[in-house]
Amino acid sequence: MTVFFQLMLTGLVTGSFLILATIGFSLTRRVEGFLNIAHPELLGVSAFTTWGLNVMLGWHIIPSAVVGIVFTAFVGLIIGRVVYDPIRTLGPAILLITSVGVHYVLGGSVDALVGTGIRSLDIPLAESYRFWGLRITNYQMLVVAFAALATISLALFLNKTPMGLAIRAMSANPELAASRGIDVKSTSRITWLISSGLAGLAGVMLAVVATLSTDIAFNQILQILAVAILAGLGSLYAVVAAGLIIGVAMDVSVFWIPAGYRPLVAFSVVILVLMFRPEGLAGKKSR
Amino acid sequence: MTIYSLILATLTFGAMFSVLTLSLNLQYARGGMINFGTVAYFAAGAYAYAIFTQEPPSGLDQYLFGFDMPWYVGFLAAGVASLLFALLTGWPTLRLRGEYLALTTFAFAEVFHSVLLNERRIGNGSVGLSNVERPDPTTLGIDDTLGYAFAAMALMLVTAFVFNRLLKSPFGRAIDAVHDDEMAAQAVGKDDARIRLQVFIISAIPIGFAGALYAMITTLVAPSMFTAQVTFFVWIALVLAGEKTIIGAILGAMALVLFQEVVKGFPFETVRAAQLASSGEEIVTGILFILVLRLRPWEKLAKRGSA
Amino acid sequence: MSDIILSVENVIMDFGGFRAVGGDHGLSFNVKRGGLLGLIGPNGAGKSTTFNLISGVLKPTKGRVAMDSVELSTLKAAEIAGHGLGRTFQTPRAFPSLSVIDNVMVGADHPEEGPIAALLGRWRAADAVLREKAEHALERVGLADRMNNPVANLSGGELRMLEIARQLNRNPRLLLLDEPTAGVDPSLQLKLAEILAQLHAEGTTLIVVEHNLAFLLDLADSIVVLQNGALLAEGDPDSIRRDPAVISAYLGADHET
Repeated sequence: MTVFFQLMLTGLVTGSFLILATIGFSLTRRVEGFLNIAHPELLGVSAFTTWGLNVMLGWHIIPSAVVGIVFTAFVGLIIGRVVYDPIRTLGPAILLITSVGVHYVLGGSVDALVGTGIRSLDIPLAESYRFWGLRITNYQMLVVAFAALATISLALFLNKTPMGLAIRAMSANPELAASRGIDVKSTSRITWLISSGLAGLAGVMLAVVATLSTDIAFNQILQILAVAILAGLGSLYAVVAAGLIIGVAMDVSVFWIPAGYRPLVAFSVVILVLMFRPEGLAGKKSR
Repeated sequence: MTIYSLILATLTFGAMFSVLTLSLNLQYARGGMINFGTVAYFAAGAYAYAIFTQEPPSGLDQYLFGFDMPWYVGFLAAGVASLLFALLTGWPTLRLRGEYLALTTFAFAEVFHSVLLNERRIGNGSVGLSNVERPDPTTLGIDDTLGYAFAAMALMLVTAFVFNRLLKSPFGRAIDAVHDDEMAAQAVGKDDARIRLQVFIISAIPIGFAGALYAMITTLVAPSMFTAQVTFFVWIALVLAGEKTIIGAILGAMALVLFQEVVKGFPFETVRAAQLASSGEEIVTGILFILVLRLRPWEKLAKRGSA
Repeated sequence: MSDIILSVENVIMDFGGFRAVGGDHGLSFNVKRGGLLGLIGPNGAGKSTTFNLISGVLKPTKGRVAMDSVELSTLKAAEIAGHGLGRTFQTPRAFPSLSVIDNVMVGADHPEEGPIAALLGRWRAADAVLREKAEHALERVGLADRMNNPVANLSGGELRMLEIARQLNRNPRLLLLDEPTAGVDPSLQLKLAEILAQLHAEGTTLIVVEHNLAFLLDLADSIVVLQNGALLAEGDPDSIRRDPAVISAYLGADHET
């Protein structure tokens, strides 16, 4: 029984990570209107930038992480402005296909700069804590903490600040928002920055709790898609719920099926949701 | 690497991947369906061929099935396997549109990959099946490499011919009508769901055959050969030379394969240099892809040509 | 064969909380075989929705629609079309990938339309016959000279005539026409009236939604008037013309006479 609860706990951590990785993806989907499958590559960009500063240049992890996140935010912004915004009018299908190209470019760049092989960050070893027969490491708690922090901050931002409200208006109806005087361009820019920055944060977390290889970022794509699809086009809370559901489901499934099939749980969710309830948890039909 | 071997390799693999781009051309450019799971039909064909032609398991083998049939039975089985996979995954999902269909096909392909990787009873898991039966062209008096180049080109030409025949018929008219305006097509009695499924399945069959050919050439099938990278590769190949025409689909595949073969064949001095080159190739390909999608040069040329 | 070709029985169409068609008890009316029924009413009366309910684009929330005692409400739109129902749309819908004549041909019930026939090349003979029929249809609407042109070059009125040609080619038993004169200039309207009268004479049952009452009231042999999704009046053109309820429904609503 303890094993089961331990799996639920790790599921909570996985879910928190997925939330971090997916909020940005969901945000782009709602505001820019398409599924950006190059989003997971940004996790890789951030993870390896952080690694580069931390291990190659010997910086302390905190400034490395901060620079990694900020750098990733700007990379996402540049790509958004240069590649996606000009072809926005061609429709979500074309944008999705274009993101395949972006995936190639980002993936190729990371490969070129980093090379193959497994890397890890130069950080103190994880300390585990035990309670009620379960264990969790300080880094895992950090992931959960950051996920909570990011979600709450984003929720406050979207509900209480003018820019946040502008973003929500744009995600509901861009034409209407533009005609009401919302600066579509700068709202779009902020969206790219935030969503890429969050991807950056997720990338750093990934580097902290897992070992890095150059394809690690892409391996997250199905999980991210699963969370985003399950959440639907709705609110942040739906993403949180979806992230936790999938995270827990994936880890708990190990109780019954071989660990190698863990990602399969995520894929199956995508297929089932799209077949039976494409609007996801949030329940809004796409425009 | 000599120019001759470069050309042969390009023709062989270019023709083989052309079959996949031709299929995408039919599904996407004419049928309006975005299929991001193309590699799964390829894998289904390859594995079916391997399983049907290999000997039953012995010794340390972990796989369960081996029927030890002649190569042409395996080849047919490959087509049937990809047909069945297309039917099973297409029928429940084809009513989805655009990006959602892309996602489900992508997810199905990843599920299939995961099963191949984890279920050792099917194909030895990550190790794969080696010593796959390889028919010998030298019995016909043709050099081995040349023989397979011919086989690949023959498959490509037959596929192109069949698809073209399909598109020039009343069925092709119906496909175009459904793609243009589904509601109007329904109003004249075209069952759009059935037409889409037919297109989906028909275009999957040659991919299965291509998979069998791939297995024959490399004598190996392993999950690592059938990842999403293959799907993305053929999508890029499709778009690069204009996704609407059959000739564009073929040229795009040939060009991309040529690019890859040149980079692969270049005599680099260090492993690192070779890695850099292949990464560089990815980056350049990605950029070209983005540019072509944005600037749509082929459509503009076609418009100017007909004006 | 019964007198009635189409029966609409207590049909209700609800979109969320909004009742587009049905009124209090549901919409009911019958269409006589071989007749030319005009379906009129002010904007928002539910005329196009009713067409969508008949042709299968929408499924009624309640009630049924039956054609020659075949229940249509459970069938798909393509199946309903296969049973002998044709329709045109408010905005003409042409297929831009196909040439003018292909647009007409694609409407026909081709005996060899499947993929197997395509592969075996068995369609050529039937295709030649259908092509001739399509050419005739194009001649009737005056588009024969543009046969092989792309559709993009046609004007709005010509697109409308193309839709008509497509239906002429299909020869449906029951034809629904949604605002056929919209966007068509008066000289072409005369031709349109001729064609509709010919179809009527040939025995095709027609239901025509129109705002152009002058055009319609001369052609139709019976009228159904809708208002807010419910039946307001039913009868022959002359009595409808004089019906005070109908006149007041139209006062203040936009229409062309």
